[in-house]
Formats: sequence, C-alpha cells, structure tokens
Amino acid sequence: MEVNLRIFRYNPEAGRNKPSYDNYTLEADPTDRVLDLLELVKSYHDGTLSFRRSCAHGVCGSDAMRINGRNYLACKVLVQDVGNNITVEPILGMQIIKDMIVDMEPFFESYRSISPFLVNDEIPEDGKERLQTIEQRERFDDTTKCILCAACTTSCPSFWSNDEFVGPATIVNAHRFIFDSRDTAPEKRLDILNEESGAWKCRTAFNCTQACPREIHVTQAIAEVKNALTTGRLD
Amino acid sequence: MTSLVDSFRTTMRGYLTYRGREGHLAFLLHRLTGLGTLLFLIIHIVDTSFVYFAPHLYAETIELYRSTPFMIGEIFLVFSVIYHGVNGVRIAVVDMWLPHKWTLTAQKNWTRWAVLITIVLWLPAAFIMFRSMLVHNFGFGG
Repeated sequence: MEVNLRIFRYNPEAGRNKPSYDNYTLEADPTDRVLDLLELVKSYHDGTLSFRRSCAHGVCGSDAMRINGRNYLACKVLVQDVGNNITVEPILGMQIIKDMIVDMEPFFESYRSISPFLVNDEIPEDGKERLQTIEQRERFDDTTKCILCAACTTSCPSFWSNDEFVGPATIVNAHRFIFDSRDTAPEKRLDILNEESGAWKCRTAFNCTQACPREIHVTQAIAEVKNALTTGRLD
Repeated sequence: MTSLVDSFRTTMRGYLTYRGREGHLAFLLHRLTGLGTLLFLIIHIVDTSFVYFAPHLYAETIELYRSTPFMIGEIFLVFSVIYHGVNGVRIAVVDMWLPHKWTLTAQKNWTRWAVLITIVLWLPAAFIMFRSMLVHNFGFGG
C-alpha cells in the first residue's frame, strides 16, 4: 500500500529554525510499524531526520510521539491502525531539541522528586526478605508496568497548561511505592503529591489512560492517590 | 519553566488538535460550559450593580436580556449549567468513591450517560424558553 507520511521537522543547527513538515510517499505493508517508516526515511531519504528509538519493541519507551494527533509508541502502532495518511509530530509540552527529540530532563526531574525506589532501612524479620501476600503485591501491580515513555504526561491538558504539574507518570510511579506494603515512606511521597503541582491538578480528562502503551489504569491510580490523600488510608 | 505565552500556545494546540476520545471531549465541554457560565455571572453581576451605580442604565440592561440573541444565549446557558453540574457529579462520584471505574469502557458509558442526562434535563427548559422567545419577540401564539 502507498502511505503519505508527513513528518514534523525542526533543526536550528541546520538552519531549520521554524517548525515545518516534510512529506514522503512510501510503499509499506499494512503490518509495518510507524517506526519502520521513520527508519525508511532516515535510511533512504534524509539521514538528518532525528528521533529516539532503542528496543523498538514497546519496552524501552524511547519513541513516544504524536501520530495523527494522538500519543503512541511508534514501535507499537501499525500502519493499518492509523491509515494511509500519517502525520508524525513530537509529544506536546516538552522543549523540542530536534525533529522528534524533546528535552526529557524536566520529566525525569519530576519523576525523581517522588523517590521512585523502595525506602526501608529496617532489617527484615528473617534477616533476608520482606515478604508480601499475593494481595499486597496485587495492590500496586498495575503501576509497576510503567516504562517512562511520557505518553501519558504529554497527553494531559493540565500538563500542557502548567509544566510544573508533576504529571500522570510521576503519580503512577509514586503509586507503585505508596501502596507497597514493604515501603516506609508513603507519607513523604503523599506530601509532595498534596502540593499545588501534585495530584489535585488532575482534571480526569482521561487522555493519559488512553495514551498509555502499557495499558496502565493511570486515571484510576491518580484517583487512588487522591483518596489516600483525603482519607490517609493505604489499603 | 516555560513562559505563559508558550504554555498558552501549547494548551490551545493540545485542546484543538489532540485527538482524544470521550474523556477529552467531556473535559473540553466541561471547561467551555464552565467559562460560559462564569462569563454570564460576570455580566449578571455588572448589570445588577447598575441598580446602585447607574440606575438609569438598569432598565436598558434588562431590555437587552429580552433581545433575541440574549434569549438564545440563555438557552445555551441552561445547557452549560446542567452539563457542568452533571459532568461534575460524574467526575466526583467516580474519583471519590469508584476509582476502579476509571476504565476505558466504563468511562465511555459514564460520559455518554452524562450527556444524555444533560439533554433530557435541558430539553424541557429549552422548549419553554424558546417558546417564550417566539411569543414575546416574534408575536407567535400568545
């Protein structure tokens, strides 16, 4: 099938100071991924095209971008799912460095702010392991799946209007530890999420849940954090 | 931290071009109806203040409310108030008591129900207001 690919371009170092679009007509199979098309353009048409990719199998979370106006991982969306006319743009709300590459540092700074690691200085009862029941592990299972691709955060209207908002991804990763029975610092994370730029900025637009390539129930996780903030209960 | 202008641009680009589904559209309509209601409240506070600050303008202002464009606007105002309330209740109920209902299928249905309830509640009021406009402004029936 023939695909019309429209790619966002911005490269100040090469004199492309203003955002513009390049158009390509390519031969593709319906089961090709959008990432394959970008690789094709980079290899055979324009080597200056820049985008992040690493594993190319939906695990590393490098290639989140807006495809036909919606956030996806380019390696997980097939041509047959988005049609013959495809527009590829960088994710919204981040500083664009070059083409599809955005500055992810503020995103990771926000992520680091909630201490995304197990906090527990106590010695386990048996001196070896901190055991959990199946139910205790199940409580935060969904939010362990996050790959930090930023598809959720950059689809969020609250983040578009205020980049100080910690964003859905940070709240999801806080949720992963707040509800972990082995962790001893949920209050510290809840305090951060109770601030003005925390969980209360969520307006439940639901774009995050729809954008998540790992199908995490992002809005539900945020609602559970809000409930923990109001009730103080972590069960 | 980006500038206010950049944030505004990004916000507008997102609002207008991001292809969200029911939740995104419900959010946009919620914001639009909220701003519409706020605009009316501001106008209403200003016209009521004329009673004290400029009594001679008050009668003219009330006359303005009876004009056709204002009466049509009021029909949409009723829609705005009802939708903003119903959708707000949907969000509050799910967020506070039923977070496990924040799923793709459930929210698609909840959003559709919110719009349906809004229309059912709005139509009788819209009918009465529209008829009143036809009677008073165009001499129908009466």
